[in-house]
Amino acid sequence: MSLISLKDIYKIYNVGGEEVRALDGVDVTIKENEYLAIMGPSGSGKSTLMNMIGCLDTPSSGLYEFEGEMVHEMDDNQLASIRNRKIGFVFQTFNLLPKATAQHNVEIPLIYGNVRRDQRQSMAAEALESVGLGDRMHHRPNELSGGQRQRVAIARALVNHPSIILADEPTGNLDSKSGREIMEIFDALHEMGNTIILVTHEDYIASHANRTIRLFDGKVKDDISAAA
Amino acid sequence: MLSLFLENFRISLTAVLANKMRSLLTALGVVIGILAVTLMGTLISGLDRSFEQSMEFLGKDVLYIRKFEWFGDKEWWEMRNRPNIKIKHADLLRDRSQYAKYVAPVSEWYTSVKRGNDDISGVRVTGTTNEYALISTAEIDKGRFFSNSESRSGSRVAVIGKDIKDALFENEQAIGNKIRIGNYTFRVIGEVEKQGKFLGMFSLDKQIIIPIGTHQRLFTRRSWTGINVKVDGTQMENASEEITAMMRQLRHIRPMDENNFALNKQDPFKEQYAMIKLAIGGTGLFITILSLVVGGIGIANIMFVTVKERTREIGVRKALGATPKMILAQFLMESVTICLFGGLLGMGLAWGGSFIIDQFFPSDMPLGLAMTALGLSTVVGVVSGLAPSYKAAKLDPIDALRYE
Repeated sequence: MSLISLKDIYKIYNVGGEEVRALDGVDVTIKENEYLAIMGPSGSGKSTLMNMIGCLDTPSSGLYEFEGEMVHEMDDNQLASIRNRKIGFVFQTFNLLPKATAQHNVEIPLIYGNVRRDQRQSMAAEALESVGLGDRMHHRPNELSGGQRQRVAIARALVNHPSIILADEPTGNLDSKSGREIMEIFDALHEMGNTIILVTHEDYIASHANRTIRLFDGKVKDDISAAA
Repeated sequence: MLSLFLENFRISLTAVLANKMRSLLTALGVVIGILAVTLMGTLISGLDRSFEQSMEFLGKDVLYIRKFEWFGDKEWWEMRNRPNIKIKHADLLRDRSQYAKYVAPVSEWYTSVKRGNDDISGVRVTGTTNEYALISTAEIDKGRFFSNSESRSGSRVAVIGKDIKDALFENEQAIGNKIRIGNYTFRVIGEVEKQGKFLGMFSLDKQIIIPIGTHQRLFTRRSWTGINVKVDGTQMENASEEITAMMRQLRHIRPMDENNFALNKQDPFKEQYAMIKLAIGGTGLFITILSLVVGGIGIANIMFVTVKERTREIGVRKALGATPKMILAQFLMESVTICLFGGLLGMGLAWGGSFIIDQFFPSDMPLGLAMTALGLSTVVGVVSGLAPSYKAAKLDPIDALRYE
């Protein structure tokens, strides 16, 4: 059974009276435990597609089904809820809250998910330990290296046990060593059965994935699955 | 929901503390507003208490026949030319009036009082009869008031107020001892309980009461005179008319001529006081509303800045599952926190200020008003935070995440 199903998705913006088709009839199906890379030049629609998959955006037309829930029909509150429960975001610029400790940053999705405090703390600790930051729980982002910050962000994405982890250029702001470490974590998470979607423009990042979708002008140009 | 509330509160505190100076300046309008309303309340409560006490001294059922009007638009020089009140009229009024319960003539002047090396100046020396004690609401604390026969005779006995007792007999027994009033020696026979100040102006305890016979003999030259009449409190109108008529008759005033005496009572004090209270209350309220409105605008403004500064954070929070309502609550909470912080600061300052007011009028900061003030700060916080918070809640998560 497919986890995510996008059927005939259009996203059309009106910029100064001119119609811009950011997504122009995209059909994508993603199964559980896939390791997918979305690639494409800038302006190809990969960010729009990522926002769509991440339920930050809704399509102009088309069907989006996420574990049987009809995302294209949802309002802001329902979208917030599905982001909270089913999607873990990892951003290029980490997007941690600067004044909160690592532990607190990781707890935030749980606070919005209305999880009790004691349970929240143990879940956050567990997530941080799984990315190797068990000893950095009470550090603030400015006391951590770039790689460590991104690991906190991954722990935050993991903490709710989401259905997919959606990473947008996760190594873009890191040196190559930290980048490799981060990719190792994603590989390990995939091994453990997680579904991972990476958005990247770098081939060596995409090579970690076992399926690559290339977009061009809002259309799927090719969709290649590596032999498992 | 509780964890979200606590999280919001934590965010608010962090934000307020991270920008201490900004928060303080932002809250200044609310600080001044709350300070004004609380101080005004304290002042009015103190005035009320002082006024009630003073009115008790005057008594609601006592008519004061005097040369001068306490209130009114009569020229001072006009009243000055009136004949003095005659002491002997007191007896005539008592005999003839059907409303008068007690009638006491009073004769007053100011002098200094000595005992050994101690002295106290500016003491009000009142000559009167034993009926004065029945008219006055002040109780005799120790000893006794003088008798009817002492009233009329030239007995040199004195009933002293608390200030005199404290100044001349600090840790000693006053009763039975001698004091010198002006140049004459008197024996202390009683002490009046503490009465406090009259309308916060002069001490009612800086008084000595002596028999009127003695007063007339020794201090008559510069004294002024009057008659205090206690009547049935329910018959004030009738009693006033009757006493006025009798005074006119005693003074042979022709029907067309004006009264050449004053019949004073506490009522006009109350009217005057109500006006003063209204003026203080009105001014305080005006300052309060003005500063809360201006303060509220300032807070709304700074909240817009805050929302702008933290656009990216809002985007992250939305991506992590915060609903528009949760974001709205977060920023409302922040605005309310600033206002409550201002309200508490204002109340703290007012609390300090109430000690200064207390020096003049014994007063307390009214608790109900303090609570209202805090409630008011919350309202200002909600109202001024509403538009910026709504803006934050409605931000598009994608735009917010991209915001640099």
